[in-house]
Amino acid sequence: MTIERLLPGSALQAYPPPSKWDDWREYDVKAWPRRVERRYMLVPTVCFNCEAACGLLAYVDRATMRVRKFEGNPLHPASRGRNCAKGPATINQIQDPERILYPLKRAGKRGEGRWQRVGWDQVLDEIGARIRTAFREGRHDEVLYHVGRPGHERYMDRVLRAWGIDGHNSHTNVCSSAARLGYALWSGYDRPSPDHARARFILLLSAHLESGHYFNPHAQRIIDGKLAGATLAVMDPRLSNTASMADHWLPTYPGSEAAVLLAMARVILDEGLADLAYVERWTNWREFMAHRRPGDEPTFGAFLAALKDHYREFTPEFAEAESGVDRHRIVEVARLIGTARGAFASHVWRGSASGNLGGWQVARALQLLTVLTGSVGTPGGTSPHAWNKYKPVFWEEPPAHARWNELLFPPEWPLSHYEMSFLLPHFLKEGRGKLDVYFTRVYNPVWTNPDGMTWVEALRDEAMVGLHAALTPTWSETAVFADYVLPMGHAGERHDIQSQETQSGRWVSFRQPVVRAARERLGETFRYTYETNPGEVWEEDEFWVELSWRIDPDGALGIRRWFESPYRAGEKLTVHDYYRWIFENAVPGLPEAAAREGLEPLDYMRRYGAFLIEKDVHGLESQPVAVPPGAERDQETGRVRVEGKPIGVEVGGEVVTGFPTPSGRLEIYSRTLEEWGWPEDAMPGYIRSHVHRSNLDATRGEMLLLPTFRLPTLIHTRSGNAKYLAEISHRNPLWMHTSDARRLRLVTGDLVRVTTEIGYSVNRVWVTESIAPGVVACSHHLGRWRLHEGEGSRWSTVRVRLETRDGAWMLRQVEGIGPFASSDPDSSRIFWSDGGVHQNLTFPVHPDPVSGMHCWHQKVVVTQAQADDRYGDVFVDTNRSMEVYREWARRARPGPGPGGLRRPLWLDRPLRPVDSAFFKP
Amino acid sequence: MNYAFLIDNRRCIGCHACSVACKAEHEVPLGVARTWVKYVDKGVFPETRRTFQVTRCNHCEDAPCVEICPTTALFRRRDGIVDFDSRRCIGCKACMQGCPYDALYIDPQTETAAKCNFCAHKVEVGLEPPCVTVCPTQAIVAGDLDDATSRIVHLTGRLPVQVRKPEKGTRPKVFYVEGDAAALVPLAAPPASDYMWAQGPPPSALTAAMPGLDVAGAPRRTYATREQHRNSWGWKVSAYLWTKSIAAGAFLVPAVGVARAPGSEPVPLPALLIALLALAATGVLLIWDLRQPARFLWTLTRPQWRSWLTRGSYVIAAYGLALAAQVALALARRPASSTLIALTALLAAGTATYTAFLFGQAKGRDLWQSALLGPHLLVQALVAGAALFARPWLVVLLPVGGLLVAGEVWGRHATEDARLAARLIQDDPRFTTGVLVIGHLLPLSILWGISSFQGMAGALALFGLFLWEHLYVQAPQQVPLA
Repeated sequence: MTIERLLPGSALQAYPPPSKWDDWREYDVKAWPRRVERRYMLVPTVCFNCEAACGLLAYVDRATMRVRKFEGNPLHPASRGRNCAKGPATINQIQDPERILYPLKRAGKRGEGRWQRVGWDQVLDEIGARIRTAFREGRHDEVLYHVGRPGHERYMDRVLRAWGIDGHNSHTNVCSSAARLGYALWSGYDRPSPDHARARFILLLSAHLESGHYFNPHAQRIIDGKLAGATLAVMDPRLSNTASMADHWLPTYPGSEAAVLLAMARVILDEGLADLAYVERWTNWREFMAHRRPGDEPTFGAFLAALKDHYREFTPEFAEAESGVDRHRIVEVARLIGTARGAFASHVWRGSASGNLGGWQVARALQLLTVLTGSVGTPGGTSPHAWNKYKPVFWEEPPAHARWNELLFPPEWPLSHYEMSFLLPHFLKEGRGKLDVYFTRVYNPVWTNPDGMTWVEALRDEAMVGLHAALTPTWSETAVFADYVLPMGHAGERHDIQSQETQSGRWVSFRQPVVRAARERLGETFRYTYETNPGEVWEEDEFWVELSWRIDPDGALGIRRWFESPYRAGEKLTVHDYYRWIFENAVPGLPEAAAREGLEPLDYMRRYGAFLIEKDVHGLESQPVAVPPGAERDQETGRVRVEGKPIGVEVGGEVVTGFPTPSGRLEIYSRTLEEWGWPEDAMPGYIRSHVHRSNLDATRGEMLLLPTFRLPTLIHTRSGNAKYLAEISHRNPLWMHTSDARRLRLVTGDLVRVTTEIGYSVNRVWVTESIAPGVVACSHHLGRWRLHEGEGSRWSTVRVRLETRDGAWMLRQVEGIGPFASSDPDSSRIFWSDGGVHQNLTFPVHPDPVSGMHCWHQKVVVTQAQADDRYGDVFVDTNRSMEVYREWARRARPGPGPGGLRRPLWLDRPLRPVDSAFFKP
Repeated sequence: MNYAFLIDNRRCIGCHACSVACKAEHEVPLGVARTWVKYVDKGVFPETRRTFQVTRCNHCEDAPCVEICPTTALFRRRDGIVDFDSRRCIGCKACMQGCPYDALYIDPQTETAAKCNFCAHKVEVGLEPPCVTVCPTQAIVAGDLDDATSRIVHLTGRLPVQVRKPEKGTRPKVFYVEGDAAALVPLAAPPASDYMWAQGPPPSALTAAMPGLDVAGAPRRTYATREQHRNSWGWKVSAYLWTKSIAAGAFLVPAVGVARAPGSEPVPLPALLIALLALAATGVLLIWDLRQPARFLWTLTRPQWRSWLTRGSYVIAAYGLALAAQVALALARRPASSTLIALTALLAAGTATYTAFLFGQAKGRDLWQSALLGPHLLVQALVAGAALFARPWLVVLLPVGGLLVAGEVWGRHATEDARLAARLIQDDPRFTTGVLVIGHLLPLSILWGISSFQGMAGALALFGLFLWEHLYVQAPQQVPLA
């Protein structure tokens, strides 16, 4: 049997042409070199591993209607058919013999490991009734949804608004909120969107060639930019794969990054490399002069002098002393940035921003370089993320709620960029509130967050958490302490809309259950996605609609109506209705593109999976704005308002869109910080980290632990069920520089005890030249565990024994990774025995007093292991961790702020309430 | 048409997407790999750098795996792809000795050899291999070297490229842009037991034989998959060499005696029977070592004539027939003709020495690329024969054998790999105590009359011979190939 070649001769194409996706024929790889034909339907979806939302193309075997493999979706504007290792590994997650196939309900005590299979109806009835009671009794704040990774754009926002609760909690304050705050203070937009492909200089304080928002799409464009002539510099104390690709590796001592960046800014200012016209036009320098230099002439020249004066202390020598990076290298890089002529692309996301006290200033210092070089929103520069991100709207928006849940936004941290999510168990233990129904959605705080044992203490206590439902595709250390474990689908098993700021342009992509989509294309109909998924694995979209109907069966609570079809009055909303409406009405250009193919918009997205709304988006801050009569103009800032609402900003005599900041400009000076108790940090600056050298006691042998780095092959606790990924990466030794190892008399492989403020872990040391002296590093990706058989994927978890007495917790490995019998013969071929060490348990919480971000870096003492220490041991004292929490909480400067506000009105927050709720009653 | 890969190290970010895409496409079992990414860290902080190297089958123009494969299970397609057919594979693992790049493995599911086949099933319908399409940075280029318009021709024409081990003469077709010797040369950074996020192989004699590896800043392998070629030929192959020596020598030594004294008795029946028995044992060991023992006859019935495994099988078979014929004549009390004896002696010598050509086809084993090997195998057969039937000959043969052993171990070696393999033998106490003292000096001293246990001399010589075969087969298999 011969299949016709796509092109004559020897030419090869990357992907089958979409016109052949319905019935693609290729040879059976197992039968080869016998030519046996296989027929597939190629159905696009979106990866569910990291947040980048890369396109996948499922090969659904037409004979079995099962997914054979996942490749990339060539029509996806960001990933362009390419993926990282986690994309093709999706097939492992779907075929994992260890996955949870049916809803489970706790049979014994919490965490005891006894479960019974239940039906979805029972789950929905029981949880729905409980929430209904809470709502009827006015206990809205006791219902909380806690999301690990917000997937579906705005879907949950809509659900929670429909429920009328302030009940959205996220993971962001253990992830990125420090950098977000830094960016937001500048421009009102809390993420950068660097245009790497056209940059002349790329500066990364991140490891985007191997991880992060957004690894694969950004790596493509960083390398494209580099090959096109851009210079790449990377700040990282550890030789990441990214740093190794750099033209300039700047191994900055952790926490010193802002000092180096400000020294670069000083070079750019002093050497006349700054784009002063841009700075004059777009920064709020007049506001600075008015408030900081009221006696001086309010001219730009005076401002410039003041600015230079402000950063005078940031000499290259100072930067070298702080960072350990050669001052000549700093000056050289600064000059290259200064001559990038508006094509300076940069990014900080986690890294130093999330590691250090005051990390939010790192993002501000970095953005200062973007502003000084006039690279904001330019081709090759760095744009605000919202310019490059799509957000859907709905046929009917539930109104904003009017509540303020202080378990999420407590008064101590009025500027916290996201919810103080990682302090939830501490708040519960303090009696600040309790939870009646708690949903964790693909969220594993016991493992991922700092101080996991305090989470365990709260989750085990039914007085603190009445009901805990874990929505997850796979077992997690947190699901173990749930009352219901509710299996939800992987990439090719669920619906979502995804859009990210991966490049200069705006796109939308469609995650869909591929087998359902394929079978529907062949004429079958299904009511629920779990009918086509393995077991009874469901999808959340349908779960929340069903649950909402059970909370409010008769519509009396006013909830049900938001979950009715926009097409059939009074009938239950289906996933088809939901996405059909969005694609028909809320994606510019999509209906026309679909019509050109003779398709309905929903069918277009089902078939192609992604749509490019616009490309090359630049200059959105300079769009002219029509000024209605009665508009008011602020003298200091040029902000133009109508009835108090900003509509634009006057720049150079013209009213344009500007930026969503109070001044409408790029805020080099933050009046907000000044007014909310942080005048010393009102400018981009340098805050000495809690792990600054001066805060380490060398006589005690204290070192800095960098515990946050990621591997290209894994993604937090989502990917432990992918055997091909576990095969490549399965341990996380402690990286230590040769000189430190010599001092401590350690060689690679030696067992060490890593002691933190609240406990210790026992790991092996990996001696290397690839890390700065004085710093040790350990990837947070490994060290997964399970308490009982059946409660964790054996590809990646070790079995442990967990013992506790009076807040002292001891976790010890009792069984490593090893071969096991299953339906997958590969499980008997596992050759590694190491599963890594769970270090996060030993970290106390470190809430940054401004951003609220957990400051990840740790002060540790590394010693040779003691006689009865065993690899993987973890000891934690939660009494001590509560003390550390209180010490850090005392650093905060509580609200309310000006006018009795809980939080500045202009700073956004998730699930934003009505404005009146911002005011403390 | 001549397909080849280009790996652009200016673009490769070491993300392992190619490795996983390949695994998903072919459902490659855990523990083996068709393509993987090697990491090497080098330099002293802060001038440290990491090299990534996509590592896979080179689809050689002159593929040693194809040449050594006895059954055409491995073959070079007309489009330049080196492909394989698991249905024809007998699992002899010769290809794993032949390949100098560690590209082949035995699939634990099928128990047959496998490797990267350029996704020929995709290429034939006009698609790139999934490792190419998945690559985030387009660091892997697959294309036709004969098509002047192809990207690979454009790039290889414009940029300097490197290949792995060009000195092997295999004409590899995976070209590296900015290939780094620290990664291209396996011994520049040998396997280590601790990788940055994975377990490596347990510490071995290899590390002891390579001083200076732990010097800070020296190239250091920081990620690798498990070596696949290692120990693919185990004790059964060592034992096969030994039984084969006995089988050959048991006939040759008496036959040489016949030649010396015309008209004397033909090779006596016990010698014939011992030769035949040892030859049968050789066959059993050979078949036992196959991963597909039921397919053993395919070396004869589906021959690939360039393979010395095929040729050797025929020589062994012919030798067996010749011996059987003489046994039959001896049982019938009829003399064997001198022609038959000469022919049998020739086949015995062939049986003893063909392995030199087979090992010569094992391009992955530098130590075996030795001009001494043929003569040495013949001397080994004579030692074995003499140990059984003409112990006094050992007085001459053992020193000759010893000199040959010394030549293999302490002689000049053309390559670092061969030197390392020889060093591994030198460092092994089984060599000094077992091969030299017990296998040579002790029997010689017995024969020289220093000891009175004359009968022991032959047994000790045979013991020494076995140990030598074992070390000689094993040591080069410890040398990393990738």
